Amino acid sequence: MKKYKNYFATIAVIAVIIAAVSSCATTQKISEKTGNVLWQENCLRCHNSPPSTAFNNAQWETIGLHMQVRANLTETETQKIVEYLKTVE
Amino acid sequence: MRTRIILSVALSCFLFATSQAQEYNQDAIKELEKKVDAVSPGSTKFLLTGYATTGLTLTKDASTFEPTSFSPIFLWKTSDKLFFEGELEMEYEDGELEIGIEYADISYKLAKNFTVRAGKFLLPYGIFTDRLHAAWINKLPSKPLGFDHGGVGPTDDVGFEVLGGVQLGNSKATYAFYAVNGPSLMDGSEDPMQAGMLNYENLADNNKNKALGGRIGFLPFTNSLLELGFSGQSSMPGNKETDYEKTTAFLYAGDLTYVKGIEQIKGTVDIKAQYNGANVGKANYIDASDSTGATTYTFDNTSNAWFAQLAYRPTMMSNKIVKSFEIAARYSSIKTPDKSLWADEKTQWTIGLNYWLSWRTVFKLAYGMDKTPGVSKTENTFMVNVAMGF
Repeated sequence: MKKYKNYFATIAVIAVIIAAVSSCATTQKISEKTGNVLWQENCLRCHNSPPSTAFNNAQWETIGLHMQVRANLTETETQKIVEYLKTVE
Repeated sequence: MRTRIILSVALSCFLFATSQAQEYNQDAIKELEKKVDAVSPGSTKFLLTGYATTGLTLTKDASTFEPTSFSPIFLWKTSDKLFFEGELEMEYEDGELEIGIEYADISYKLAKNFTVRAGKFLLPYGIFTDRLHAAWINKLPSKPLGFDHGGVGPTDDVGFEVLGGVQLGNSKATYAFYAVNGPSLMDGSEDPMQAGMLNYENLADNNKNKALGGRIGFLPFTNSLLELGFSGQSSMPGNKETDYEKTTAFLYAGDLTYVKGIEQIKGTVDIKAQYNGANVGKANYIDASDSTGATTYTFDNTSNAWFAQLAYRPTMMSNKIVKSFEIAARYSSIKTPDKSLWADEKTQWTIGLNYWLSWRTVFKLAYGMDKTPGVSKTENTFMVNVAMGF
């Protein structure tokens, strides 16, 4: 049981570190990523990237929130991807 | 004088026509606005999506058209923070329709990258169940050994979870921690053959303990193409007020995802892997062969299952037909405790050829070879499958 406690202590420490560093400024390289780039990088990790014509704007907003929860996307990533899918032809 | 009169009349006509046109345009715009208002969504946004699949399985002794499975997914976004998702699983089996709830949970975004959700949800235990199990996402018609319901490791449970993703400089990390009912330990009283197994369908909890677990994901590169994940769950799955009350269960998993388009091979390489392990504390189970019930036996209760999968699709080819093909190969393995009555050890190769009819509809052909140690012959299966997301 001791090793399990250690395991969870490790997870807790990692969580605290994540919480602490999440307030750090995002690098320019990341913040400059467009919705198009994020759409290609993130969707494809699990499934084919959907075309923007697959859903309407309201549906993209709903899917954005669904994917934020399912794929642990950050809020910035979600917003950029949804905006891209709503505006691209 | 005459010219002046003509000019005045012409100007009056022009002004009259312009005002009429403006009036007409305004009326048309109002009419259009009414039509748009009628169909534009309010603050509640709903989407009915999901997937369906059907297929054929051929073995040496039998050929079976697989029952069509239909999984509608209901998504409600009632505000930018509040969200519901639910998936039903419908299958026609043995002449009867079976309906189950795969997940049904409510999520609330408490802070920018911090969401809390409650209900029945897919557990972030590795990546297969949470992200890849849907038929239109899974590259092969079958699931890896030990990764279906009743395999090594949980698929879904009831409870609550906190989750999110955060940027760490050029890298990214994801987190998900949860408390759920957890598995129950089958002590053999119902079925002696299953003594020591974990039952992950423990939706009404069998004790006061809750299972605690989570997953940490790390995406080290700026392009987010590589993800490494570590998951764990700790619980005390025994029935309350029995000898098994203090028995512990520790489940752990590691996963890898790498997806990259490579110009030199004109396509996209998709690598996925996951290892699941289960350690259940030692316990004494009643030997069913002794009718007095006085004899017990015990065993080292550890199990594991894992898979590694490689897929390639020539996405950078110019020919539309060629770029719709995809090849996939997967190796998977399962091992349950040697001395248990449910001991199992098997490996499996599955090789498949897919043709993508659209981004979410795929036709799959696959060949599976199951091998049991000590048995020279493999059990071979040919699978045909169509999966459609919608």
